[in-house]
Amino acid sequence: MKSAEVYDQEQAWDFEKAAMPYVDSLYNTAYRMTRNSEDAEDLVQETYLKAYKYYDKFEEGTNFKAWLFKIMKNTFINNYRKKKLTPHKIDFSEIEESYERVIQKNAPDLIKDPESEIFQDMMDEDVKRALDSLPHDYKMVVLLADIEGFSYKEIAEILDCPVGTVMSRLYRGRKMLERTLLEYAKKYGYIRGGEPAKMRSRKDEVKPKKKSGAGDDVEEPAEEAPDDDLFVVAGPEEEDFDFEVEEEPEEEFQLE
Amino acid sequence: MVCDDVKRVVYFYLDGVLGEKKHSDLTSHLKECPDCDDRVLIHTRLRNFIRRRLGRLTAPQTLQVKLRDQRGSGGEASRVV
Repeated sequence: MKSAEVYDQEQAWDFEKAAMPYVDSLYNTAYRMTRNSEDAEDLVQETYLKAYKYYDKFEEGTNFKAWLFKIMKNTFINNYRKKKLTPHKIDFSEIEESYERVIQKNAPDLIKDPESEIFQDMMDEDVKRALDSLPHDYKMVVLLADIEGFSYKEIAEILDCPVGTVMSRLYRGRKMLERTLLEYAKKYGYIRGGEPAKMRSRKDEVKPKKKSGAGDDVEEPAEEAPDDDLFVVAGPEEEDFDFEVEEEPEEEFQLE
Repeated sequence: MVCDDVKRVVYFYLDGVLGEKKHSDLTSHLKECPDCDDRVLIHTRLRNFIRRRLGRLTAPQTLQVKLRDQRGSGGEASRVV
C-alpha cells in the first residue's frame, strides 16, 4: 500500500503534468481580464493553488482546461470584483447600424489587401484598447471563443450562464470589437487598400518608413480627417473601462 | 436565404454550428452572391487578426517558477486545511 506521502507526490506530479500546458492560455486571458501583468500573475497563481487544492474534485473525462478557466473566473470575481462595476447603457441597434456602415465603406479595401497585411501595422496598444472598449461580459465570451477555442457549451459552463446568452453576447461582442478595430484602422491609416502605408496622424507613434530615396525631412501633411462622424472613436474613458451592460435584451438565433 | 439572413448567422456559420440545411443554404447563397462572399471573407480575416494579436502572450518565466514552487507548499496547505 502506498504511503500518504507517496500518494501526494504522485498527485502533485499528475496535477503538474495536466495543468502546466495551460499556463500561457490562463495568463493571456488573466492579463486581458485584469489589464496588467502583476494582477494577471497573481490571478493565475491563485487559480493554480485552488485547482491543486480541489484537484480530487475534478471529474475525470470532463474538460480540464474549462475547469481551470472556471476556477479563474470565480477567483477573479471574488478578488477583483468586490467593487461594483459601473453600468453603462449600450444602444445595440446603434452598434448594428454603425457596423453596417463601417463594414460597407471598408469592404473593398479589406478584400484587396492580402490577408497577412490586414491591419499589420496596428499597434498592440490599439488592439488592446479595442478589446477593453467591450463590456466585461462581452470581452470574456470573445476571448473564450475566439482565442481559447472553447465551445458555446463550455463557455456557458465557465461563465455560469445559458448557451443562448453566450451566443447573444458573442454576436454583439464580435461586432463591437470588429467595429472598433475598423474604426481605429481607418482613423490611424492601418487600412491600406493595396496602397503603401500612409502617413498616420498621431503624434505619439512611430512614423512608417519611407521608401529609399525619399530622403527629405519635410513633414507630409497628415491624412485628411474622415469626412463624416463614422470614425470618431467613442469608447469609454480610461478610468471606467471596466463596465457592465445595464439592460441586455437577449438576441435569439435560429441555427436550424 | 437572403443577404440579411447571412448577416445574422455569419458568425455561427464560421463557428460551424449551423444545422446541416442552413449551412448548405448559406453555402449556396455565397456562390451566387459576391457581396456576402466578401463579407464572409472579411469576417474570417478579422477573426484571424484578432486571434493572432490577442492570443500571443506567454506567461513570464517567473510565474512558471512560482507555480512549480507553490505546488509543493500548496499541497502542504491543503492537507492542513
